[in-house]
Amino acid sequence: MNLKVETRTVRDGVAVIALSGEADVYTSPRIKQEIVDLLNNGTHKIVVDLSGVEYLDSTGLGVLIGGLKRARERDGDLKLVCDNSRILRIFEITGLTKIFDIHRSEAEALEKL
Amino acid sequence: MPSTKALAEVELSIPSRPEYVGVARLAILGVASRMRFSYDEVEDIRLAVGEACTRSIDRLSNGDETHTITLRCLIDANRLTIEVRNPLSAMQPKEVPEPASAEFGGGAPEDNLSGVLIRILMDEVDTEEQPGEGVHLLRMVKYVAR
Repeated sequence: MNLKVETRTVRDGVAVIALSGEADVYTSPRIKQEIVDLLNNGTHKIVVDLSGVEYLDSTGLGVLIGGLKRARERDGDLKLVCDNSRILRIFEITGLTKIFDIHRSEAEALEKL
Repeated sequence: MPSTKALAEVELSIPSRPEYVGVARLAILGVASRMRFSYDEVEDIRLAVGEACTRSIDRLSNGDETHTITLRCLIDANRLTIEVRNPLSAMQPKEVPEPASAEFGGGAPEDNLSGVLIRILMDEVDTEEQPGEGVHLLRMVKYVAR
């Protein structure tokens, strides 16, 4: 299992990165690059859709935290979509539900951006 | 620490490269699935092993990917002990932080996160240096619920 990264622009300055597969020490650099590229190209409001993610480790979490920080530094934001209880549990036990806005659907996350 | 000989042992060596962490996760999934762990417990063990291997890669000096990480699984009726063994001479040891140190505010948080995850997901965690064997090991234990 590897990681699939699909990015689409929703409107000017807003994009969705849909991930599926495993977000770990091997694949997370690709997620980081995708986020950095969007931010550098003026897309500062990002939804990362984790609906298809089956495995997420601390490296993946670190990339998301870095993305959130960089987006907010540019007056943007990074919101997450996740309905997988296993993945949600990782956010809960690490206390990261306090810093991320996690939504059940992409439409809901986009509405809150 | 296990005081008696394990019922069975499984050992796997992987190169200290990110693409092989998934191999270690697959192996431990196979081992834990054959014990009386719940689905969630097996997933906890898989994540903890992934984190332990990732920490090893991080600590093996200066991005040198030529080292070997050895995963030793000691299978008992009531517990699974996993030792992640690294060459001591190449290690840059850091303590595995307690869960209370999970603070997020800046910097690179992955290192603390991985330590916190390992501590939370496993029942016992400790580290040990064995200079005689030239090994640094992270030992994790998960008990089968009664």
